[in-house]
Amino acid sequence: MKRSTIASLFKVFALAVTSAVLIWMVYVAVLGSEWLIVGTLSIVLVLLNWIYFSKRAVASKFLLPGSILLVIFVIVPIVYTAWMSVYNYKTGNELERDQAITQLHQVGLVPDESATNYDQVLGKYQGDHALLLTNQDTHEVYIGTKTERIALADGTFQVDKQLKAVSADGFTADNADQIAQANSWLTTFSVPVSDKQFINPQGVEIASLMREKFEFSADGKSITDDVTGIEYVDNGNGNFVAKDDPANILYPGWRQFNPAQNYVGILTDPKLSGPFLRVFIWTISFAFITVLMMWALGLTLAIAMDKKMKGRAFYRAILILPYAMPSFMSILIWGGIFNPDYGALNNLLNGHIDWYNDPWLARTMLLTVNLWLGFPYFYLISTGALQALPTDIEEAAEIDGASNAQIFWQIKLPLIFQILSPLLIASFAFNFNNFNLVYLLTKGGPTDVLNGETAGATDILITYAYKTAFGSNEQNLGLACAISVIMFVIVGALSMWSLKRSRVLEEM
Amino acid sequence: MSIAVSRKKQSRRPSNLWRHIFAWVLMVFALFPIVVVISSSLSKTGALSTGSLLPSEVSFDNFIKLFTDGSIPFPLWVLNTFILASINAVLSVLIGMFAAFAFSRLKYKGRKQSLQALFLIQVFPSFLALAAIYVIFERLYKLYPLIGLGSLGGLLLVYLGGSMGGSAWLLKGFLDTIPMELDEAAKIDGASPAQIFWQIFLPLTTPILIVTALLSFIGTFNEFILASLFLQDMNSRTVAVGLQSFVGGTFGANWGPFAAGSLVAAIPLVALFLSLQKYIVSGVTAGSVKG
Repeated sequence: MKRSTIASLFKVFALAVTSAVLIWMVYVAVLGSEWLIVGTLSIVLVLLNWIYFSKRAVASKFLLPGSILLVIFVIVPIVYTAWMSVYNYKTGNELERDQAITQLHQVGLVPDESATNYDQVLGKYQGDHALLLTNQDTHEVYIGTKTERIALADGTFQVDKQLKAVSADGFTADNADQIAQANSWLTTFSVPVSDKQFINPQGVEIASLMREKFEFSADGKSITDDVTGIEYVDNGNGNFVAKDDPANILYPGWRQFNPAQNYVGILTDPKLSGPFLRVFIWTISFAFITVLMMWALGLTLAIAMDKKMKGRAFYRAILILPYAMPSFMSILIWGGIFNPDYGALNNLLNGHIDWYNDPWLARTMLLTVNLWLGFPYFYLISTGALQALPTDIEEAAEIDGASNAQIFWQIKLPLIFQILSPLLIASFAFNFNNFNLVYLLTKGGPTDVLNGETAGATDILITYAYKTAFGSNEQNLGLACAISVIMFVIVGALSMWSLKRSRVLEEM
Repeated sequence: MSIAVSRKKQSRRPSNLWRHIFAWVLMVFALFPIVVVISSSLSKTGALSTGSLLPSEVSFDNFIKLFTDGSIPFPLWVLNTFILASINAVLSVLIGMFAAFAFSRLKYKGRKQSLQALFLIQVFPSFLALAAIYVIFERLYKLYPLIGLGSLGGLLLVYLGGSMGGSAWLLKGFLDTIPMELDEAAKIDGASPAQIFWQIFLPLTTPILIVTALLSFIGTFNEFILASLFLQDMNSRTVAVGLQSFVGGTFGANWGPFAAGSLVAAIPLVALFLSLQKYIVSGVTAGSVKG
């Protein structure tokens, strides 16, 4: 009885703390106007309190913590991946449409024909950042805020010897420290003068009168540059482009819903489909060859050791070491061993083999390292399978006069294959996504950068997607997500097929 | 190759010779990188091997540099990894155990469907959604820097998201082997499911929970892709991300300290792994650990 009081006190305490944190998080999200997050967190908050204070819903109490985390951090990213994959979403097209158009207004600013410049003092006016401006030619003085330019009457401001205003009523000049920090707001500060004219700071001391050269049509579908006379139209794919020359693109663009682009591009655009197809074929080949090699070596070893012999325990202890080593570390160590200039292997061979720069050498290296990483695992599972083989079949075959070779190839091997097939499929799926190996060893290289290639000779789909999403030149999140979706489909189909075979789902 | 040797007959000496030769050849293969890393860590030059596999002069300079050089926050990386992997291990096992208990012992509507759904979801590795995870956590960072991109907290949440799909399966299999009579007796005595869970099942399954937690620890230690996405700041890195950044590009220069760091971090992990060998071997045959 007493114990359960403590337990329920603890439960209430834990719930109170969690709820308090969640409420604070909702508050922060409301301040940031992130309504999706507000909604999600509110649902979590209600669910938590409802389920843990209810007298029923016992199973939910046990399933809730894991389910919430699963939904938010696994399912939502998967759904979001699918959602991002149907957008034109890449470097230069990352904003919402209205954000992009706001920025285009800025992009279209050119110095006004009057070439008016102002001396400028940074400060605050009515609590907000403001500029005290003196026209360099006419010596008229203004206060500029984010919303308007206010002309000051004589006597409300003080000037220095050069007739530059240094202070004004209601205006507080910034001190040296504040000026040092001013870049945070100064770069985006703009004082509207008329519909098409703005005063923009050019550094800390000078501001210039700017004029917008873009004429936005009323329906928002086109922009005219009144300097060059070029008309830009919405190309339906997230950018304004010149009407006569679609390659003349205005940046920034925006994320445009375009469900087919990434998928169709992968299949038909030679710039995308070429690398994708090569990467796809290598991914499948790599996963297949690697599993075959590991299994062949592991099984041979298992057969060799499937017998009482001197030193077997010692052999086993050493041979299992590659599996016991943290794999990322082993991969990095192998990376050093294969180093063409200082690596232990080239030293040992007394040669200079450039393992990283030749596609086939790099692939060989990858397979060798993976063989090292994986053969102990296949040795272990093959040993298990050998021990699970029924002995009477073998005896019956012997009586029937089968040779040892026949017994192995026609009886034992098919049986072992049957026992191990779920693990072989799992291993195939694992290597299909073996990011660590490829990324840590070759980074997908060698890559023919001179010919503008983005995919390297050893890139597999997952490293290719990673490069596409976070590459140094262009980051194409939409395309990367489309590749991810394709991988989801392949891995999913493979797992389904394997599950169907094993009948796990029916037995639940 | 004459591998078709029956187990019973022909157990004369000659047939054993190829087994020994085969084992020795593979042992050389298996030990080669390990010998290289040990010898590099002890070599004075600190560069990649310079001619021979064994260092000409044994020195501990690399190890000293690792722990004293301010530009390599290796101790911090170890600490980060330890904190991250420990918290993740404890929480994910607890979450997995909660779920496994419900799946194994509680009757509720939609039990079979929820099991199937979970099974299907967990076949998709979460890192495939890495671009989406990046964008989501970039957005979270603006509101909650503690769990946003760049934080160990955010990384932990992503790991925990996968915990129900991961450990729940292993644990459910184990719970299914505990006789029903045990909790039925407790139920008759008036114990609530929560009491049965905390007072009977948790103590009873402690050994297997510890094993599962340690396996999760090893898994986190090895995780690279999400960790490298999240942990950009030098001081917040894990050992995996730190060592990679440290050795990437300038192999020659940092090789010695890298080898020393690998040894320091690998020895406890290998020891842990070997001590858990029995469970891992039975676990891999269920296809769940790594491979």
